[in-house]
Amino acid sequence: MTPYEAAKAGGVVDTAVGFPKSREDMYDFYEFIRKGSHDSATKDAKAGELEFPAGYMFKNVPKWESDDMGDPVEMLFLEHQRHGITQAIVGVEDEVGQRAVRDLPDHFFAGISIDPNEGMDAVRKIDRYANEFDLKSVGAFPSGLYPQVALNDKMFYPIYAKCIEVDVAFCSTAGVPGPRLQFAPQEVALIDEVCWFFPELKFVTRHGCEPWTALAAKLLLKWPNLYYSTTAFAPKYYPADIINFGNTRGADKVIFSGYFPAGLTYERIFNEMPDVPFRDHVWPKFLRENAQRVFKLPEKKVSQ
Amino acid sequence: MTMPSDVGVIDLMIATPFRAGARTYQFLRQSLRDRESLDEFEFPAQYMFKDVPHPEAGDDPVRFLLEQMDKFGIEKGMLGVSFAEDKSGDSLRALKEHPDRFFGSLEVDPNRGMDAVRDLKRAVEELGVKAATAFPAGLYPQVPINDAKFYPIYAKCIELDIPICVCAGVPGPRVPFAPQYVGLIDEVCWYFPELKFVTRHGCEPWADLAVKLLLKWPNLYYSTSAFAPRYYPEAVVKFANTRGADKVMYAGYYPMGLSLDRIFKEMPDVPFRDHVWPKFLRENAERVFKL
Repeated sequence: MTPYEAAKAGGVVDTAVGFPKSREDMYDFYEFIRKGSHDSATKDAKAGELEFPAGYMFKNVPKWESDDMGDPVEMLFLEHQRHGITQAIVGVEDEVGQRAVRDLPDHFFAGISIDPNEGMDAVRKIDRYANEFDLKSVGAFPSGLYPQVALNDKMFYPIYAKCIEVDVAFCSTAGVPGPRLQFAPQEVALIDEVCWFFPELKFVTRHGCEPWTALAAKLLLKWPNLYYSTTAFAPKYYPADIINFGNTRGADKVIFSGYFPAGLTYERIFNEMPDVPFRDHVWPKFLRENAQRVFKLPEKKVSQ
Repeated sequence: MTMPSDVGVIDLMIATPFRAGARTYQFLRQSLRDRESLDEFEFPAQYMFKDVPHPEAGDDPVRFLLEQMDKFGIEKGMLGVSFAEDKSGDSLRALKEHPDRFFGSLEVDPNRGMDAVRDLKRAVEELGVKAATAFPAGLYPQVPINDAKFYPIYAKCIELDIPICVCAGVPGPRVPFAPQYVGLIDEVCWYFPELKFVTRHGCEPWADLAVKLLLKWPNLYYSTSAFAPRYYPEAVVKFANTRGADKVMYAGYYPMGLSLDRIFKEMPDVPFRDHVWPKFLRENAERVFKL
């Protein structure tokens, strides 16, 4: 068994997972992106065309026709069992996610996403979900908001303060987004100010930080509570800066996340994963331990 | 138009007399640059005020202040307090021993980040404070009213259901006014419509803009701190007499810069209409500060 295989056999945490949806439902889901787009390929896409606004970047995006759909919780759980995912953070803002965390509390954990355009309602939303669920993550997609809200915008500040108060990690996409929306609100440099003003905030980047990965590594080293998660990136595209950082001073700072079912299959992820040149000691931290610590997930014994 | 004498005035800015030599504005020195302020002024805005009070309070400043309040018909006063026993001892004792006469406010410094947010919550829980207060131009570094650093404080005020009283307009001390430009309040009231925002220290020279905003934003209020009644801006008095009777509140400035004697000598000449007086002197504060 290679160190990677041994680490994987000990369990894998995926910190950002969606439930399978039919193609029609996925198309509807992305309405929020079409709303903020100006290019006709995105904006005017009909069902069956550019259903996934970042679809131009991805090969073999998972798709289900309506007739193929079963119970999404069961579908995802089976997928996880098949690929050795032992714990996962899912959205609990709909019935499906809520059922998942209630029925399979050892496996599924609660996350929400927020929109600072909602003002105090967004702040209260965090309190509400933290009271009702054991909330593990609060997520945001600054470029995908309408209107867009920059990571260092004052509208985010009460959200950050609330995440600190309820001790939940804040996860945000950072770097140039796939959908044809402006990148400015998620420029990696904006994170510096946030980490300075809120040193207690656990801030986890999502979606790559590209092309500012050298800057991301600088900031990851500088700010103790800043973390990087690999959402939306197939392992063959993990940035060299980040792998290098994970192998040197950042073993505790880089966290595996997939992109199922939005853009990547687990088959592809775990086919490519063994080729990522992480050093031996990094693998268990990357696949599981860092996520468990940062998101306060229980350590889970995996029967091997 | 006659000022009533029996309404039980609420004063939204009053303090126990300074202990001997303790009128310190040390916090401002880092921002001041002019020699006169640094070397000669005892009170950094003293060039604007005649006869800054120097009361001889004896060994019981709380008793002394109560006597002053009784003399001028002030039923309740809002005192700035902090957790620092050495700085706030008299005020803390006043709140504790005379809860029917005093209520507290906590001065916040958004430069302190989450510690400021946590202190505010603790001050409400442990000291029963009824408001936050802030002096944006007097902070070091200065923090504009619409700055991101203020936003977690505003959110916490909403959660705690307390107003925040903020100095607005050109400040007396010789520091830049930009952080207190009245126009900045618009954005805050837009983003936090639930926030009860009470201006302090006059809003001058943008009193017309202040009135526009007071009319526009239901939870924006004006308090008259640091202004002798003869200098209450005309636009504000007119607003109180027309559509703003519920939005303008009395706050003094004793003993920082004005004597109660002067305030209440000039007060009857303010041309408020009859129905405005009780609201101005008491009822608006009772409602906004939930007394």
